[in-house]
This record gives sequence, C-alpha cells and structure tokens, in this order.
Amino acid sequence: MHMTTEASSAPPERAYEPRPSFHDELFEDDGSPRPVAAALLEALKRLGPDGLGDAGHRRDAIFLQQGITFETIGEDGPSRERPFPLDLVPRILSGPEWRTLKQGLAQRIRALNHFVDDVYHGREIVREGIVPWSLIAGRSHFARAVHGIRPPGGVYCHVAGCDLVRDSDGTWKVLEDNVRTPSGISYVLENRVAMARLVPDLFNAYRVRPVDQYPQLLLAALRSVAPSADSEATVVVWTPGPMNSAYFEHAFLARQMGVELVEASDLVVRDEVLYMRTTRGLVRVHAVYRRLDDDFIDPLEFRPDSMLGVPGLVRAYRGGTVAIANAIGTGVADDKAIYHYVPEMIRYYLGEEPLLENVRTYLLTEPEQLEHVLANIDRLVVKPTGESGGKGVLIGPTATDEELAKMAIAVRAHPERWIAQDVVKLSTVPTAGHDGRLEPRHVDLRPFAVFGERIDIVPGGLTRVALEEGSMIVNSSRGGGSKDTWVLEDGEADDRAESQLPDPLPPALPDLRYGGWTGQAQQQQQGRC
Amino acid sequence: MLARIAHELYWLGRNLVRAEFTARVVDGVFQVELQGAAADATPGVVLGWSELLAMLGGLEAGAVRATREEALQQLTLDPAAPASMRAAIERSREGARTVRDVISADMWEAINTSALTLRGDGGGGWLAPGGPYLSCQYVKERVALISGLAERTMLRDEAKAFLDAGSYMESADMVLRILRVAFPVGDDASASGQALALLQAVGGFQAFRRAVPAPPNARPVARFLMFERAYPDSVAACVDSLHDALEAADASPRNSEPVLRLSRMAADLDFQRRTLPDDAEIGATCEVVQQELERVDKDLAERYFAGAARERRTTVV
Repeated sequence: MHMTTEASSAPPERAYEPRPSFHDELFEDDGSPRPVAAALLEALKRLGPDGLGDAGHRRDAIFLQQGITFETIGEDGPSRERPFPLDLVPRILSGPEWRTLKQGLAQRIRALNHFVDDVYHGREIVREGIVPWSLIAGRSHFARAVHGIRPPGGVYCHVAGCDLVRDSDGTWKVLEDNVRTPSGISYVLENRVAMARLVPDLFNAYRVRPVDQYPQLLLAALRSVAPSADSEATVVVWTPGPMNSAYFEHAFLARQMGVELVEASDLVVRDEVLYMRTTRGLVRVHAVYRRLDDDFIDPLEFRPDSMLGVPGLVRAYRGGTVAIANAIGTGVADDKAIYHYVPEMIRYYLGEEPLLENVRTYLLTEPEQLEHVLANIDRLVVKPTGESGGKGVLIGPTATDEELAKMAIAVRAHPERWIAQDVVKLSTVPTAGHDGRLEPRHVDLRPFAVFGERIDIVPGGLTRVALEEGSMIVNSSRGGGSKDTWVLEDGEADDRAESQLPDPLPPALPDLRYGGWTGQAQQQQQGRC
Repeated sequence: MLARIAHELYWLGRNLVRAEFTARVVDGVFQVELQGAAADATPGVVLGWSELLAMLGGLEAGAVRATREEALQQLTLDPAAPASMRAAIERSREGARTVRDVISADMWEAINTSALTLRGDGGGGWLAPGGPYLSCQYVKERVALISGLAERTMLRDEAKAFLDAGSYMESADMVLRILRVAFPVGDDASASGQALALLQAVGGFQAFRRAVPAPPNARPVARFLMFERAYPDSVAACVDSLHDALEAADASPRNSEPVLRLSRMAADLDFQRRTLPDDAEIGATCEVVQQELERVDKDLAERYFAGAARERRTTVV
C-alpha cells in the first residue's frame, strides 16, 4: 500500500539513477527516459515493484516445472539446479540500430569464414604478411587433420555468435567471436515465451520482431549443406550427453527441428559413411550439428582418450559423405589472439571497411605491447587466448595486488597464451532486484547467426546481464542472468513480420448438426421426435 | 528411432509403473496392518511388510522379518533405497530428461514436477506430501496423470510403443511377483486370508467384484489376477498388450523373437484359463510365465536396443 501512494506522488523511476559515465540504454544521462523506452517504462510503472516481484516468483516456478534450469557448482561441491535467471525488464533495440549491427555481423562472419578456408588451403593471408603463420599454427584449435578439406558450399561457420558490448559513448564493439559451438539460443526463445506469459502488458505499445524461426533456419542451413543426392537429408544434433551443462539446449534444438538427438554411442562409421544405430538397424546420417569440441569428436584423429567421440568420423568427413557443423577446425578463427586481426581480414577478403569495431587489443607477443601492458596491468583486462566462458579472465581495475602480480608473472612466462584489452565500460539496462525495484546492471549481447545458403541473423539475441551491482561478469555460470532482447519493427519491408491484409473472418458453420454446447440434449430431443 | 532412445523409453515406462505399483501395495499393506488381522482369519494370503520387501527386492535373503518403519523407509521416500517409489520417480525423471525431445512437453513437465515435489525442495512452493498415505496417494495420482498425458499428447509411433511395452512388462512382472510371494502353495482351496486386502492393494477390488461372482478367496483372486483379460493389470492382459505394442513397433513382427514368444504365451494363458478347473492352484504357472517374460526382456534388448542394455546396469532388481 505504502508503495503505491509513494508511486502516485513520486514516480518510481525517479529512484533509478543511471551510473555516471556509463551508457544506460533506457535512460538519458539526466535520468529522463529515452524516447524509445518511454512506453515501456510507463508500463513498468503501472506494474510496480510488487507486480514485478510477483511475476518473478511465477517465473521461477514455471522454469523449474519446465526444467529450464542450469547447474551451478555450490561451495560444498555438488551442483544444484536453478531456474535460469531471466530478468523481466526487456532490452530494446530500434530497427535502424539493429540493421547496422546485422550488417556488421554478417560482414564479420563472412570474413571469418574466408579466413578458415584460407588457413586450411592457400594461406594467402599469411603470404601477404597480414597474419603471422606461427600465430595460427600455434593455436590449440588449429586442426592439421582437416588441411585441404573444403566442406559443401564452402561454409565452415554454420552457426556463429559474436559477443557485442556497448561502450560509454554508446558505440557497439565486438568483444569476442564464437564460431565453434556458441550456446544460448534456446534461452532467447524460451525467454520470449516466458515474457509473453508473465508480463504481457509490457508488449502493448511495441511491435517486437519474432525470434522463433531460428530452429527452422538452422535446419534449412544444415539440409542445404548435407551431401545427400536422393530424399531428404538426415540431420542429427550430437550432444556429449545429459551431464553437459547445455544439454537443455541440445534437446531443445533437436525437438524444435524434429531431428534425433544423438550421443557418440549412437553413431558408427562404416566404410567412410556415418550411420546411427536405430531399432531398425543402421540409418545413414548426412549432416551433424555437433555440440562438442574438435578435440573430442574422433579419437583416431584428435584426443585418443576421448570417450565421447566416434572413431573414423574425420575419415568420413574427408570422404565428403557427411557434413559437420560447425566444420572441424573453425576454432582457429575465434581464438582471442586471432581476434585482433579480424578488421584486417575484412579489408583483405571482402575489400570493405569493417562496420563493427574491435575492442582495443594488445598482443603480448610483441615486446613493446607487452611492456605497455605490464606497466598498466591494473587498468586492462587480461584474457587467456584459448578459453571461453569467462574462464581465467583478470579484470585489472577490480583485481587485488596479489592477483595482478601473479598474472604479470604468468604473462611474462607465456606471453603467447594471453592477450590484454582495454576495459570496456559496458552499458547498463534497468534490472529488477529481489524487491522488484529497478537498478542499473551491465549487459552484453550475443546475436546468433546461421550460415547456409546465406547468412540469417535472429533479431536481437541473448542479452546477458551481471546481476551483482557494479559487476561486469555476465556469464551465467558465474552469477549472470539474461534479458529478453526486443528488436522493434520500423515498417521497413524486410523487417515486417506480418502481412498488411485485414484479419480474415472465420467461416460460419450453418450446416453443423450440433451447433452449440447442448449437443446431448439436442440429440435426445431429435431421438424423441 | 535410435536404439538408445527406445531403451530409455522402455525403462521410463517400467519405472513409472514400478513407482505406481509400489505406492499401491505400500498403501494397501499399511491399511491392512493398521487394522490387524481378524481373530478368525484362516491362513491363506499373507500380506505383510516382509512379503512386500521380498517382492520389491528390498529384503536380503535370510533377514529377519521387517518392521513397518524399515519397510516404509525403504519403499517410500528414501532416494538411496533403490526399491523406493521416490527412487523410481527420480529414475523416471533422469530417463525423461534424456528422451525429452521424444516425449511431449506436458509429459516431461508432469514427471519433472513429480520428482521435484517428492524431493520437497522445489523452490516453487511445492510441498512434499506428508505421511505414507498421502505420499502414496500422490504418486498414484501423478503416474495416472503422466500416463493420461502420454495417451493424449504422444504420437502413436514407435516411441509410444516402447514406452507402453515397458509399462506392460513391469505390470505383468509386479503382479507375478505378488502372486508368487503372497499366495501360499498347496493349502486348501477355500482359504482367504488377506486376499481381499491384496485385491484392494493392487487396485482390483471393484473390478473383481464386477467380474467374478465367487467370494474373494485366495484361489479365485489369484486366477483373476492371472487370467482375466478384461482387467488391464492381469498378467494375461499385460501379455496381450505387450505383444500388440511390440508388433506395432517392429518392422517385421513375423520374424521377431519377442513377438513370437509373447504370442505363444498369450495363447497358452488363454488355454489354461479355459481348461484349468476354477479352484486349481497356479503357482507353477506363475513361475513359468515369469521366466518366459525374462526371456522376452533379453530378446528385446538384443533385437531393438542394439546391445545398449548389455552395457548398462539396471538398478531395478
């Protein structure tokens, strides 16, 4: 009660203060709503902190019931299932803004794809002296086994996700490329469904572009690269198993695409052809969307101790009887040390200027840059090159002296294993706390692209949000949450989701025998006469 | 369909029925035991905690008679005891998680919430039902809900056939176990003992009343549970349904060993039903049928599950 009276005299957003010197996506620096967000903030005000808090409880119950959970490692060891933390305040991207991002991403992914092809074939970019060969060959994800193999259509990076961030002046920058097995798309789709159920009122003033076409895009892309001459290609999703933290997503994608979810024990290679074991014997597989790293997929070519792999798979791949998405060896392109060269790649392969900027990166193999980094380590972010998921990252400004000293030693010992980047002042979006009040929290964005015959990018993507105040670590394994990302329709033809035809009227049904509810009584009456 | 998935579905069916059956008999025995035996009870069917543990595989050979506390703990909510209904539900959930893309979303949610509720740490405001009666009741209702959802929402394809096959196999097995453990061998034909209670425990009391005019003595009850095809949980009905399910799933049922074996069993059960006198003793038949079913189980693994069954250990005894 107290809350509402207060709200009527002083609107709750007055309590919201954007963090100074950070870009807030819904509020201007002076605390007034941005034009695009005004209607959303109005709707949030009507809902009030209590309404938002209640919706949060319902969300947790629904997610647990549906098993939309992920596992965190507790302090006492065993993992615990928690509902995926979806924040109920959406993030809004305007139509034009999204179009720029989309073009920038497509450009980048095209260049990365060229790069992978080049690395395993002519190595033109090395000969031109743009990327040093020692750097490429020294990457742990460089796969000698696939030298000279060109998959159907020349597509390597069928599925890509780039991590984007917004700096303090609002410009978008690419933080990281991910062309191995980017995960999170299932949460994008589930988040949208959950938002529409829990807080339908927020959608009232907006026309939000749908995201649920992703599985069909992916299936079409996989079919388009599958080497099958006759009937429909058999596509499967390959998961490491139910113990994998992204198993929910693997099962989700298989279900949405209507294909089998296989484990290694279901697959077998005979005479350079991949089959799966079914209740009716062996069935040929044409395309595999695999969700495990190169290292594990074939014990004959990569790690011999892998229990998750299928012996002979690389041979079948080389024989061209099966498409693997993403192709083997793509990891060389999303390595953090290669990241630095992506703008150059775009210029070299496409002859275009990059539309999206990189975050300023220092290569520690260059002695000058190394010295600069060591002198300023408390103002930079240091990342291991071969890792993903925020593992091993040191954020200078928040690290202790001891951590900094340790890192300096590690960097000096193996400069090729690390890179350093400027700290990006991640933008903030209002986020509901436990009591339903809005607080600024830092976010990033991972859009998902599918590369088949062309590149399709699902509007928006996964917005990850750091739930701790001031924190910039958004990984869900480390306490991050997510937000629904709205890309607004702006009336452009290729952005329109629905036709402009008037709603059709349903046909009348005059010839039905039992028109209404009272069928049984009608039948009895008819029986009597 | 993938052999591994078929195997998981089969065991999902088995585990769900196992949980339900356990709930039913625990509830039944609980009722019987609270009331105590009538003073003039003739020895006949014996239904106590030890019998129950022997039947469900929680009793070690040569152990002393089990107390109620021991039995309840082993059979209801102890996740560590493999014979408990909670463990069966947890196994169902693990299985359902693996085949989540095959079963319907409704079914998965029903199985998931059942397991979370029994754990009591759902976090979504689910309270574990208190006491043996309520928790048994809960499990019965949930399994009924889950199988209802399976009927209404699953495509009637191979997947459903293997799920069904598992549940019929488990039903038949459970009824055979109860017949072999609780029914005495070679006593007089009119003894009743706790036959009535047993009928109530397996949920067949009303069906028996409507189908059989005889008093609920041990032998008519045993006969009913064994041969009455109109009663869905009877061994004969389960064998029939199991046969039909596999026939539907198999590409060439005429060459399928499990299907052929089941068809012979069904004929044999029907033959015995028609030729055995009303008060004949059927202990030996039970034993034979149970052994045959075990062979069917092995055939199934060989023919459909591509040896997946050979690698995996099963926790169900």
